[in-house]
Amino acid sequence: MSGESTAAGRMSVIVRVALLAVVAALQIGLSSAPLITHHGEYRPAWAADAAFAALALVTAVSAVPVLRGRPLPPVVVAPGTAVVLLASAAATLALPPGGQFSTPDWSFGLIGWHLMLLLLDRLPLFGAALATHVAMTVGHVVATGPSDRAAVGGAGIVVLGVTTFQLAAVAIARVLHRRAGQADELAAQRDRLVTGAALAEQRQLDQRARFAGQLGATLPLLAGLADRTLDPREDDVRHRCAVVAAQLRRLFAENDEVPDPLVHEVSACVDAAERWGLSVSLAVSGDAVPVPTAVRRELTGPVVAALARARSRARVSVLRTEEEVRVAVVCDAEGPGPRPAGSPEVEVTCHAHGQQTWTEARWRSHRTAQD
Amino acid sequence: MAFPPDGAGLTAVVVDDHPAVRAGVAHWLSSADPPIRVVASGEDVRVAWLGEGADADVVVLDLHLGGPTPALGDLRRLAAAGRRVVVYSMRADDATALQCLELGALCYLTKAEGEDHLVEAVRAAGHDRPHTPPSLAGALAGDRSDQRPALSAREVEVLVEWFQSESKDFVAHRLGIAPTTVNSHLERIRVKYAQIGRDAPTKAALVARAIQDGLVAAHDL
Repeated sequence: MSGESTAAGRMSVIVRVALLAVVAALQIGLSSAPLITHHGEYRPAWAADAAFAALALVTAVSAVPVLRGRPLPPVVVAPGTAVVLLASAAATLALPPGGQFSTPDWSFGLIGWHLMLLLLDRLPLFGAALATHVAMTVGHVVATGPSDRAAVGGAGIVVLGVTTFQLAAVAIARVLHRRAGQADELAAQRDRLVTGAALAEQRQLDQRARFAGQLGATLPLLAGLADRTLDPREDDVRHRCAVVAAQLRRLFAENDEVPDPLVHEVSACVDAAERWGLSVSLAVSGDAVPVPTAVRRELTGPVVAALARARSRARVSVLRTEEEVRVAVVCDAEGPGPRPAGSPEVEVTCHAHGQQTWTEARWRSHRTAQD
Repeated sequence: MAFPPDGAGLTAVVVDDHPAVRAGVAHWLSSADPPIRVVASGEDVRVAWLGEGADADVVVLDLHLGGPTPALGDLRRLAAAGRRVVVYSMRADDATALQCLELGALCYLTKAEGEDHLVEAVRAAGHDRPHTPPSLAGALAGDRSDQRPALSAREVEVLVEWFQSESKDFVAHRLGIAPTTVNSHLERIRVKYAQIGRDAPTKAALVARAIQDGLVAAHDL
């Protein structure tokens, strides 16, 4: 609200500077003349002078933050309001009998503008302070003044006219401020839309690049099958086809919106393996943790490689503990395969015992999160 | 409750809402070597409290008896009465498995885990010993609750690899230990779990049995 970068913030600064100018102009231009002209009538005269000086001081102190474009700090507002209300009381009490709301009354309207300058951002307090000021002045008139009807009527018109004008000024300031806030909101919304569109475009480009990258192993295989340099009767070719099929299934699963993407992708690999005739069991334990896409790819890669070498049955397990995510495949593999490459993030371990091969990809979620 | 004589004479009651499951479990248990006699079976937990079922050494309890909510109240009452319960459930749900152990069940077994695990679990339960099938090992390894007991690195590794491989032989080979040591690790982990949460006579009996077996020393607890 107070930041200069927003339209609402800039509007607040302009309104406060305008108000400062109005207060200074009114005090010098309108209030000083009756004070000088009727100086001898005030009882005591120094009280009127002191009130005038106090109001001038409040204006001067308020000018410092206002001209710097800052909202008034509470250390200025609280004592300032007290001083203004005291000045109101002093100026009213010093007026000659019957002087209220007529020419010698230099302060009534001016006090309202001072309160507005101090309390523009704190509307309930402004209302309370203005009401106090008006009540004090009117109360004094009722208690002391001669109550002939014309004088009361005149006083009523002055009070009503001045306060209505001041309240209207406050209302205009608030409307301007709110409109500026709405403009800010619209601008922010437009910015968000533009950013969202740019991000979506980037994502689409990324996705295309990623698919092209992941399809790397698929295209030469298809080309080889098409121009008959690869023979589907060979075990090796069939093995490559199985791997590529599982990789594609995993790649498609990568873009699905699901609560547990890792298990979804591992299930896709298991599904592909079951299609080529393996009996696979999948066990999942531990609550889901967020795993970055790149890490998921590295965790599922060894699963595909291990499943592709299994003879008849495999057990795939996903375990999420406090510190790590471990994806393992235990299967009856056909001899020791090529050792899957790990990465700095994902550690891949293999172990063979009898007919069984165990392959595990392990990601330490905590360490990576801190890096 | 007196220990049944070793091996022979072990009795069980089967609570499951599917007649085929009851018949299958009864067949597996009675054809085990040595056989486990099924003295009663029914679709309601009352069979475990009344008649011959009330004296059975082990209760095989299906957690989902018709209703959608697991019969945890029944499990709690059975365990509080000192009955040795093997929970036999359709679902491999970690949270429920851990809750069952906390309530005093001696084993949580998923129906996918089959004959060998069930027979072994019932036989172990009959002697106040825990049995930890792979799915339960996974639940324990993935346990992130605040009150979980502190496990040694070796214990965690045994749990994880038993969950992954379903073969104690394989775990033993991987970690360079004897298969019986794998069992001792699993039992020690269960002793640690028996010491947390709600008290139950079955959990106290499990700990007492482990001390008797020399698995843990009384002053370690």
